[in-house]
Amino acid sequence: MYDRRVVRGNTYALQTSVLPGQPDPIEIQRQQQAKRRALAKKRAQEQLRPRTPEPVEGRKHVDVQTEIYLEEIADRIIEVDMECQTDAFLDRPSTPLFIPAKTGKDVATQILEGELFDFDLEVKPMLEVLVGKTIEQSLLEVMEEEELANLRASQCAYEELRNVELAEVQRLEEQERRHREEKERRKQQQWEVVCQHTETAQKVAARAFAQRYLSDLLPSVFSSLRDSGYFYDPVERDIEIGFLPWLMHEVDKTMEYSMVGRTVLDMLIREVVEKRLAMYEQKENQPPTRKPEDELGGSGGVTEPPAGYEQSPAQPQGPLVDRDPLERRPDDGRYTENVVSQERKLLEEEEYEQARIRSTSGREVLQPREDLEP
Amino acid sequence: MAHARISMCLPPDINPTQAAIAYGCRALPKLNQELQSEDLLTRQKALMALCDLMHDPEHVYTAIDIGCLESLKALLKDSNDMVRIKTTEVLYIMTTHNVGREGFLEHDVILALSYLLNDPQSDCRKNLHLAFKHVAQLPSGAQGIVKSGLIPSLVWNLQREEEEIQVLLLDTLAACLMEDSTEALSSRVVPFLKQKLLSTNNDIRSKAARTLIAVSIPLEGKNQVWQHDVIPILVHLLKDSVEEVQANAAGALMYAMVTTQGKYAALDTEAIQPLMGLLDSSLSKARLNATKALTMLAEAPEGRKFLKPYVPIFRILEMTPEAVRRAAKIAIKVIEWKP
Repeated sequence: MYDRRVVRGNTYALQTSVLPGQPDPIEIQRQQQAKRRALAKKRAQEQLRPRTPEPVEGRKHVDVQTEIYLEEIADRIIEVDMECQTDAFLDRPSTPLFIPAKTGKDVATQILEGELFDFDLEVKPMLEVLVGKTIEQSLLEVMEEEELANLRASQCAYEELRNVELAEVQRLEEQERRHREEKERRKQQQWEVVCQHTETAQKVAARAFAQRYLSDLLPSVFSSLRDSGYFYDPVERDIEIGFLPWLMHEVDKTMEYSMVGRTVLDMLIREVVEKRLAMYEQKENQPPTRKPEDELGGSGGVTEPPAGYEQSPAQPQGPLVDRDPLERRPDDGRYTENVVSQERKLLEEEEYEQARIRSTSGREVLQPREDLEP
Repeated sequence: MAHARISMCLPPDINPTQAAIAYGCRALPKLNQELQSEDLLTRQKALMALCDLMHDPEHVYTAIDIGCLESLKALLKDSNDMVRIKTTEVLYIMTTHNVGREGFLEHDVILALSYLLNDPQSDCRKNLHLAFKHVAQLPSGAQGIVKSGLIPSLVWNLQREEEEIQVLLLDTLAACLMEDSTEALSSRVVPFLKQKLLSTNNDIRSKAARTLIAVSIPLEGKNQVWQHDVIPILVHLLKDSVEEVQANAAGALMYAMVTTQGKYAALDTEAIQPLMGLLDSSLSKARLNATKALTMLAEAPEGRKFLKPYVPIFRILEMTPEAVRRAAKIAIKVIEWKP
């Protein structure tokens, strides 16, 4: 039961704040008291219900004393002075226990043994669940961490071993590689040495062989060269190269000259013969006699110039023809001079004869002259 | 005094930011529907609820089965920051489970996530990189990342991101480069990693060194590492204060020194002494890597000469179990080899 005057607990810190949800206990009590008062009032009012009826019209209710002993009604109220005095210095007596008047119905109830729940029994499962869940959760977390730590530790150990093994493997690999490379290098060196060795031996052998071969070669080369004329006497060569071609050339020239001369001579002779033939024919017309030799010579000269060449100069140039094969010598200079001088002589003779013919016949013979002129 | 009457009002909402999770098998389908709703608040509340549910692998499996990934992919392009952050968080939680990772690979979520690489919200990016990191733990996941051509952008982002995210990126890269490093090598990953090796953050150094291990596995990587003069830095890191960094640096050196140039570069920078120091480190990884690195060095004649007097130390190492013993045996064999 909440009474405002009774404060539970520590009074040094009075509870001033009020729970907002629930109504104030003071308020509750006040409300209850108000309700009770209202009820009492209502009941009182019920009792007052029967009243005197209202006065009839024209009449008035007056209070009249109807008792036996009449009482004087006066305005002045009888006053009597009374005094009272408490005893001096008496302790204030304790407040009498206030027991409000009993209202309402009395109802009693009695909770017997075993009707309500047994707290200890009932709280156990709840507690178990609560504690269990909490412990389970915490165990889980601790286990998680432990698991992680274990994992980590085993991983570290494994990693160590792995690292060491791996390093070992790599070291061995590296060692292997180095040894192998060293071996390769040495093998390479040896191989090179052997190669050089064989090469040198081969070179030496080749050189010896070449020397032997070539020693024979040199004389034979020289002899063959000499045979094929590569070694020449410079004077001889010079004569051969310089002198002989010129000589041949000169010989050619001389021969040509002689040929030309002969040809010219042939022509001259032919001309002369023809002219003489003509002359003789002329003369035959006058004197019917003619020398058959001239005819022969002339006809020979007309029909066969080469034959004429052979025969016609046979007479006037007998000694020349005879001389020709005899004098065909490499001594061209003298021969050509001879030929030239003879030609000149012939020419002069011819000219002389031509002049004679001209003078006799009176025919100008320009053609042979012109032919004669080179 | 409390009333025995049951109140007509609903019980108070404990967490108004989360959507109400339906009972049993209706939970996920309903959440999936809510994810596709038009109302922003509904979507956000559904995402928060999903975050909580995804810690259970069975729920992850069911979610992937009913096609939650499609709605989540659509939500990745949402304009509201909160939605994106929460979506990436859900995806990240899913990747912590193998079912989730496989689902990722099937539904091409990697590509959809890659659009957010340049998101202005750093939380979004952080979740994104966490998701990538977990996906990369799976070999096929790492291959998926490599195949979708993300490596150049990841390498590029390595430069520009903040430190936390760089740590995650380095993890992702290390896992991916274990699979296939050709793309990364052509996008200049080695100079970037070289810078990261000099960073002040321990995590970044150790992870950068680990990524370098992955990079220097193929021959091209080894050549690049030698060309960019990373070997002196690695030798310097061998004396680093953090053991993890030392171990990873030794591992990177181990791989880089397989080539002859690498060997001589390391010999020039006096790598033998720090490596010998690492042989009695507490991390078995450091011991293993150091032994292997010394083996590599012993392949070179100069290295062999230098290491001849230290053979007894290797004999002691042979006593230790397993992998270190094998490595020590091999080291002794190499040192004492005569041509």
